Amino acid sequence: MFPWLTVIILLPLVAALAVPLIPEKQVKWYSFAVCLVDFVLMVAAFFTSYDLSNPNIQLSERYRWMPQIGLEWSVGADGLSMPLILLTGFITALATLAAWPVTLRPRMFHFLMLAMLAGMVGVFAVQDMVLFFLFFELELVPVYLMLAIWGGKNRLYAATKFILYTAIGSLFILVVGLAMYFYGDLRTFNMVELAAKNYDPTFQNLCFLGLLIAYAVKLPIFPLHTWLPDAHGEATAPVHMLLAGILLKMGGYALIRMNVGFFPEATQVFAPLLIVLGIVNIIYAALTSFGQRNLKRKIAYSSISHMGFVLIGVGSLSEIGMGGAMLQMISHGLIGASLFFLVGATYDRTHTLLLSEMGGIAPKMPKIFAMFTACSMASLALPGMSGFVAELMVFVGMATTDAYSFQFKALVVLFAAFGVILTPIYLLSMLREIFYGTLNHSVVHEEDLVDAEPREVFIIASLLVPIFGIGLYPKLTTDLYAPTTDQLTRVTRERIARAAPPPALLSGIYSVEMTDKHRVSQR
Amino acid sequence: MEWVYTFAWLIPVLPLAAATLVGLGFISVPEWTKRQRLPVAALSIGTLAVTFVHSLLILSQAVGGHEAYTWQFEWAAMGGIVVPMGFTVDNLGAAMLTVVTGVALLVMIYSHGYMEHDPGYVRFFCYLSLFSCSMLGLVVSPNLIQIYVFWELVGMCSYLLVGFWFYKKAAADAAQKAFIVNRVGDFGLLLGILGVYSITRTFDFPGLAPAIQTAIESGAVPLALVVVYCLLVFMGPMAKSAQVPLHVWLPDAMEGPTPISALIHAATMVAAGVFLVARVFPVFSEVPGVLEVIAWTGAVTAFVGATIAITQNDIKKGLAYSTISQLGYMMMAMGVGAYGAGLFHLVTHACFKAMLFLGSGSVIHGVHDNQDMRLMGGLRKYMPITSATFLIGVLAISGIPPFSGFWSKDEILSAAFDHSLVLWGIGAFTAAITAFYMARMYLMTFEGAYRGENAAALTAVRAWRQNVDREGVVRGFASLPSFGPGAMHTDELAAHGHGEDHDHGEEHGHGGAPHESPWSMTLPLVVLAVPSILIGFVGLPWDNAFGHFLEEGSGYHGAEHAFELGHFLLIAGSSTLLSVGGIALAYYLYILRPELPGQIARRFEPVYLFFINKWNFDWLYEQAFVKTSRLLARGTLQVDQKGVDGVVNFSGLTTLLAGEGLKYFESGRAQFYVLIIFGSLLGLVALLGLL
Repeated sequence: MFPWLTVIILLPLVAALAVPLIPEKQVKWYSFAVCLVDFVLMVAAFFTSYDLSNPNIQLSERYRWMPQIGLEWSVGADGLSMPLILLTGFITALATLAAWPVTLRPRMFHFLMLAMLAGMVGVFAVQDMVLFFLFFELELVPVYLMLAIWGGKNRLYAATKFILYTAIGSLFILVVGLAMYFYGDLRTFNMVELAAKNYDPTFQNLCFLGLLIAYAVKLPIFPLHTWLPDAHGEATAPVHMLLAGILLKMGGYALIRMNVGFFPEATQVFAPLLIVLGIVNIIYAALTSFGQRNLKRKIAYSSISHMGFVLIGVGSLSEIGMGGAMLQMISHGLIGASLFFLVGATYDRTHTLLLSEMGGIAPKMPKIFAMFTACSMASLALPGMSGFVAELMVFVGMATTDAYSFQFKALVVLFAAFGVILTPIYLLSMLREIFYGTLNHSVVHEEDLVDAEPREVFIIASLLVPIFGIGLYPKLTTDLYAPTTDQLTRVTRERIARAAPPPALLSGIYSVEMTDKHRVSQR
Repeated sequence: MEWVYTFAWLIPVLPLAAATLVGLGFISVPEWTKRQRLPVAALSIGTLAVTFVHSLLILSQAVGGHEAYTWQFEWAAMGGIVVPMGFTVDNLGAAMLTVVTGVALLVMIYSHGYMEHDPGYVRFFCYLSLFSCSMLGLVVSPNLIQIYVFWELVGMCSYLLVGFWFYKKAAADAAQKAFIVNRVGDFGLLLGILGVYSITRTFDFPGLAPAIQTAIESGAVPLALVVVYCLLVFMGPMAKSAQVPLHVWLPDAMEGPTPISALIHAATMVAAGVFLVARVFPVFSEVPGVLEVIAWTGAVTAFVGATIAITQNDIKKGLAYSTISQLGYMMMAMGVGAYGAGLFHLVTHACFKAMLFLGSGSVIHGVHDNQDMRLMGGLRKYMPITSATFLIGVLAISGIPPFSGFWSKDEILSAAFDHSLVLWGIGAFTAAITAFYMARMYLMTFEGAYRGENAAALTAVRAWRQNVDREGVVRGFASLPSFGPGAMHTDELAAHGHGEDHDHGEEHGHGGAPHESPWSMTLPLVVLAVPSILIGFVGLPWDNAFGHFLEEGSGYHGAEHAFELGHFLLIAGSSTLLSVGGIALAYYLYILRPELPGQIARRFEPVYLFFINKWNFDWLYEQAFVKTSRLLARGTLQVDQKGVDGVVNFSGLTTLLAGEGLKYFESGRAQFYVLIIFGSLLGLVALLGLL
C-alpha cells in the first residue's frame, strides 16, 4: 500500500530544504503550491484508503527505527486524527497565503512554515509516544523563531515565554511516556499497545495529572494560559492562524487520545475537574476578553474561552458531548484562524491595536466589515455556523449524560450557558468599537484604509465555506469521526463501570448509577 | 393541491436564495451590485410575492380542512441522540405564514420608496430577504432546536438592521443592546430546552406535552423542576416579545430604518415570542403556575408600556411603547388560557401596527427626517392618505368598533374577565390609556398648525433637550417650557422663543414644506388599512371562525364559551366606553386646552418624570449590569495580569536572579568546588538519615 501519511509528513520537510534555491520573489508561490499539494494528498489519502465506518487506526505504517529501544516510525489515522490532519493542511495552506506580505527574509519565513506543516501533521498522525514527543517539540522551534524574528515590539519576551512554557509542559509527556513504557511486562511506545495495558489506579492518576499539565499549557487551560495572549499579542497573521487554528487543538487532541484513551479509570476521577476548569475557562476568559483593550489579546482570550467547551465535552463522558468537543476544536480552528487573520488585516490598515483608538472604519472598508461581522457571529455561536452546533452538542451531552448527579449537571449547564451571554458582549463591543461610529483621525489615516484585496477575501471565503457547511449540515463533519469518538466513549464508560468507585469525597457529583456501582463493587 | 404542503420548504428558502444571490454579488462585484437597485428590489419583492401566494394557497387549503403536514430529516446525530430539522405546516403556521409574508411584502414595496435616497439600498433589501427567510423558517419549525436556530437568526437580522446606519452612535449602541438583551432571553430558552429535553427526550412539539404529562403523573420529575424549565423557556419569548423586565431593547431598536420598525419590531419578529408560547402552549397548560406567571407578566407589560407611551414625544418611540403594551395584551391572553384570542390579537395588531409604523415613516419622510411630534402638527392638509390611514390605525388600536382591534382586544378582555377581575381591570384601564396616547399622537401629528417651521417651537425643543443628561435621563423641567408633555400653547412658545441661533440643519435635512409620500409608500398603507378595518370580522364573539380554525389544527381545545349577549355587552360596552373616554380626553387636552398637559405634568412632576424616564429601567440596568460587568471584566483582567501572569513572571525572575547570584560561586578555585560537593553530600546523607 502507498505510504500516504509518511509522504504527507515528509513532503513539506523535503520541499523546505529546497527553499534556499528558490528566488525570493517566487518563494511565496512555491510554499503555497507545496501546501496545496500536501493538502490534496491528504484528501486523496482519506478519500481512497480511509473507511469512515471503521473506528480504529487506519492507513497505518510501522517501520522499525531503533529496535534496541523499541522505537518505531509508526503513523496512522483514526477519527480523532483524520479531521485534524485535514484541518492542518487546510489552515496551513491559507496561512502561507496570508504570509504573502512578509517582506523580511521571506525565504526563511516560508521555510519555517513548511517545517511547521510537517511538525503539526506529525503530531496528529504518529502512533508512537516518543515520536509524538519529538514532533510536539519539533513544532515549537518554528513558532519560536517566527515569533522572535517577525513579531511585534515585545517579541523576545513573548517567544521566550512561549518556548519555556510549552517545553516545560512537554517534559511531562516524556516522563509519563517512559513510565508507561516500563509499566508491566510489555516494553512498547506504541499508543495502541499502551492503551491496552491495565494500569493500576494510582499510576493512572499520576500519569493523567502529568499529561493534563502538559496539555493544559497547550490547550490552554486556566491558570496555565498566560503565554497565549503574549504570543498572540506579538505574532503576525499567519502565525496567529497556525497558533489559534492548529496548535491549540494539539492539546485537546492529546487530551482525548491519551488522557481519556489510556487512563479511563483516572478519567472518571478527573472528569469533574476538567468540567470545572472548562467553566472557569469559559467565564474567566470571556470576562478578561471583555476587559482587554488590545484587539489581538482580546481574540486570544476568546480562544481560551471557546476551548472551555472542549473540556466540558470531554468531561461529560457522553458520546454527543465528546463529539461536540471534537467539533468545537475543528470549528474553532476555522473560526479562530479567520478572526485572527482579519485582526491582522485590520491592523495592517489602522496601525493600532488599541480599540479606544479605532472606530468608524466601516464605510472605508465595507468588505472587511462584512467579513469581520460574519466571523464574529460564527464565534458567538450563531446558528447556521459551526460554533453553534459544537456548543449545542456539548450542552446536550452535558445535560443528558448519566454519569453525574442532577445537581452537578444543572450547575454546569447553567454556568456554561453564561458564556452564551458573555461572548456576544465582548465580540459585539469589539465590532462596535472598530467599525461603528466616527473615524479617529488623530491615529488612523484615511488613505491607509483600503478595502480587502481579493487574496484576503479568498482566504476568509475559504474559511467561511466549511464554517457554514458544518453549521448547516453538521453530519458532514461529525460522520468523519463519530465511529471513533463513540467507540472511545463507550470503551471508557465500560471500563469505568468495572473500575473502582470514584473517591467518596466527590460522591455528590456523580450519578446514582455510579454510586450504586460503588456499593456493588464493595460487596 | 398536496404540493403546496410538500413544497412548503420553499417558503423560507426562496427569500434565502434572493439574499444569497445578492450577497454573492456583494462579495464578487460590489460596485456593480450596489448599482443594481431595481433588479435587486424586483428580485426580493418577487420572491416574497411568490411566497405570499404560496402561503395564501396553504391557508386556503388549511381552511378547507387539510391536515397538518410535517417532514423532518436527521440533522445531527450522535450516541443515540438525534436532532431533527425539517418543516411543519399546521393551521397556526398557515395563519402566521400569511401574516408574515403579507406584511413583509408590503414593507418591501414601501422600502423601495423610503430607502430611495439611501446609499445602502441594495444592502437593505438583502437584509430584508435574509430576515424574511429567518422569520419564515421560525414559523415552520417543527421542533425546539430548529425554532431556537431561527430564533437566533431573526435576532441577528434585527442586529444588522437596527445597526443599518452604522455611522450613528445611537444605532450602534441600540443594535448591540438588542442583541445582548435577546441573548439573555436565549440563555433561558436554551437552558429550558435542555431541561425539557432531559425529561421528554424529544424536541418535537407534538411529543412534548404528553411526555411532560407522563413525567409529572408518574412522579419521575419533581413538579417544581418542570415549572422552572417552563419558566426558563418563557424567558426567550419575554426577551423577543419585549416583556417587562426584558423590554428595554425594543424602544432603542427604533434607531433602525422605519420599515424595519414596522416589519421586525412591530408586526413579525416581536410576535415570535407569542408564537413560541402558542407552540408550546399544550406544555404550559399542563404545568400549573406557568400560565399565571405569563398572564401577570403580560398585564404588567401592557400597563408599563402604555404609561410610558403617554410621555413620548418621538413618534417612533411612542409607537414602540405601544407595541410593548400590545404584546403584553397578547401574553396576557396566552396566560389566561385564551390561546386563540392572543393569536387573533397578534394578527390584527400586525396589520394595524405595521400600518401605523409605515405611516410614521411616511410622516418622517414627509417632514424631512424629523421624528419629534412637537415639531409636527397640521400634517393632515399635506398628507391626506397618510393621515387617513393613521387615523384608521388609531381607531383600530384603541378598540373602537367595528375596527379590527376592537374584536381581538374585546376577546382578550373577556377571557381575562372570566379568569381574574384584577387582570381585567388592568387590561381595561390600559385600553383607556391606549386610546388616550394614540389619540394624542394623532392629534399632535396631524391636527393643529404645522410647527416644523416655527422658530419658537424649535427653540423650545432644543431647550428641552438640554434637560436630558448624557445617559438619557430627564432631570426635571421646573424652569423649562412645557414642551415635554407635548403641550402646544402658543403663548408659552412666545415667551421662550427669542434670541437664539437657528440651527435648522439639526432638525431639517432639506427644509421646505411637508409633502405626501410617493405611491410606493402610500400603497402599502392603503392596502394595510383594509384588514385593519375588516379582519376583525373573522373572529366575531358569536361566530369565532379564527378561533375554531386554530383549535382544529393544534390538538389543543380550550374551554368552549357559549356566546352570551349580556356578557359581551358588558365587556365590550365598558371597554368601548373607556376608549372613547380616552380619545375625548386627548381631544380636550391637546386641541381644546393645549396649555393643560404642561400644567398637569408640572403638578405631578415626580410621576411624570417616572414615566418619561421609562420607570427607570434603563438607569437601573446601566448601574446594575452594564457598569458591574465592566468593573468585573476590568477586575478579572487585573487578576490575570498581576496575579496569574505575575506568578509566571516572578518564577522567571527568580531563576534569573538565582543564576545571577550563583555565578559568583564559579570562582575557579578547585578547593572551593570540593568543599561545596562535600558539604552537599553531607547534607544529603544527613537528610536521608533523618528520614
